[in-house]
Amino acid sequence: MTDGKKPDTMKPDIAKWVDEASQAIGLPIAEEYRANVILNVERSLAIVQPLLAVELDKELTPLPVYRP
Amino acid sequence: MTDILSKQATAADIARSVSSGKVKASAVIEATLKRIAAAEPTVNAFTDIVADRARRRAIQIDAGQHRGPLSGVPFAVKNLFDIEGLPTRAGSKINLDGPKARRDGALVRKLEAAGAILVGGLNMGEYAYDFTGENAHYGPSRNPHDPTRMTGGSSGGSGAAVASGEVPLALGSDTNGSIRVPSSLCGLFGLKPTYGRLSRAGSFPFVDAFDHLGPLARSTKDLALSFDAMQGWDPADPACTDRPADMTVLSLEEGIGGLRIAIAGDYFAKGGEPEAFEAVATVAKALGATRTVVLPDAAAARAAAYVITAMEGAQLHLERLKTRPQDFDGDTRERFMAGALLPGIWYVKAQRFRRRFRTHVLKLFEEVDIVLAPATPCSAPKLGQTMMTIGGVELAVRANLGLFTQPISFIGLPVVAVPTRVQGAMPIGVQVIAKPHNEQAALRVSAWLEKQGVCISSPA
Repeated sequence: MTDGKKPDTMKPDIAKWVDEASQAIGLPIAEEYRANVILNVERSLAIVQPLLAVELDKELTPLPVYRP
Repeated sequence: MTDILSKQATAADIARSVSSGKVKASAVIEATLKRIAAAEPTVNAFTDIVADRARRRAIQIDAGQHRGPLSGVPFAVKNLFDIEGLPTRAGSKINLDGPKARRDGALVRKLEAAGAILVGGLNMGEYAYDFTGENAHYGPSRNPHDPTRMTGGSSGGSGAAVASGEVPLALGSDTNGSIRVPSSLCGLFGLKPTYGRLSRAGSFPFVDAFDHLGPLARSTKDLALSFDAMQGWDPADPACTDRPADMTVLSLEEGIGGLRIAIAGDYFAKGGEPEAFEAVATVAKALGATRTVVLPDAAAARAAAYVITAMEGAQLHLERLKTRPQDFDGDTRERFMAGALLPGIWYVKAQRFRRRFRTHVLKLFEEVDIVLAPATPCSAPKLGQTMMTIGGVELAVRANLGLFTQPISFIGLPVVAVPTRVQGAMPIGVQVIAKPHNEQAALRVSAWLEKQGVCISSPA
């Protein structure tokens, strides 16, 4: 890899993701809903990119809300 | 002189007239119910009308009971607020099979304690996962300024009811923009208070981390009157602040002197139609604001808000998605399902980033008091429209009407959405954003813009 692009093998297979993750959490997805769920996971993957691109300090934790 | 029984009357007008005895609360309610009956076939704002209850309450007010700063003011609430004796729909069909509310939501009780009169529950996007105001079960709420167009959502019925003049005041909820988007598209003033400022007890949740409740109205004073009446700690909502209430009505006439006002640049200056930025420029010019500030990483803030919303919302509805998927609105079902399948590391990173974004934005508010930003990237799209082209890029309407509101509610800042309108065009709003717990500053700016005639809201 010399051009900085991800090889195709790194591109997630969203359909497989939807099928396996839904099975793992016990959420049946009927065939008539499946294509739109895949579309929405694809959209989420696109929308989340600016967040994934941000580098955070290792020490940064979420704001604490739990109070014993 | 406004006719108190007309659709032009504001909450403040009505309260003044009822308190002084110039008009009976019962007459106000009868006129309101008549207006609702006339407007509903067009705007479809209401899902429940509690006429008998409203009439009984009006009689009690006319007899001298329940008097307060909102005496005799009719109001309605998004149907995710509990209304005693009714199922809390939250825009869904599924919840109709749930229990009927045993008592009103906290804010309904507070408004009624101040003399206001509940007249009904309002249409909304299913489970508040919506920016359009459309609903497959109950039909879309329609924009009173052009019924072929969206109200915006998810508090679509709240926008339609106030913009049509059915009621002068409505409550909505705002998780990612659901008060500010319909305020913008319907030409209203809307207040999304600081996170935790108003109790959410007795309302159906969506995303606990971001859920806010607040009012929509046709005047700043009505926002302030209702906001003041609703403030106060409530142990029934763990997020509700125990800070003392900051009363805002009396400060509305203070003007904008001493306020440092800036315009949000970068992320908030692109990705919208020209009308969105022209609205900001109009408001900024009137306020004499020239400085531009940058909320760093706002695109990441929007992404993080999206991820937290998708994942918390999916968790909330997982059981219903498993057992009754066919009973969801098709426009929310697959988005909720997709949210259930996203990786946990996204959620944790979003929460970590939230802390950093908050730190950076609070630092910015050491230098300014108010930041102006567009409320929506465009004015009201057509009903049923699923895609829109903004700046030559085709975008999904549902995911993107909240582009400019999401980064702000992400960290719980108070915002007043103020309306602007060019003659012959649909209205579009501007966000007047303040630092946490400084609703007063945003309301002062809104009141000043209204007084100058820059931001006016008239019923359709």
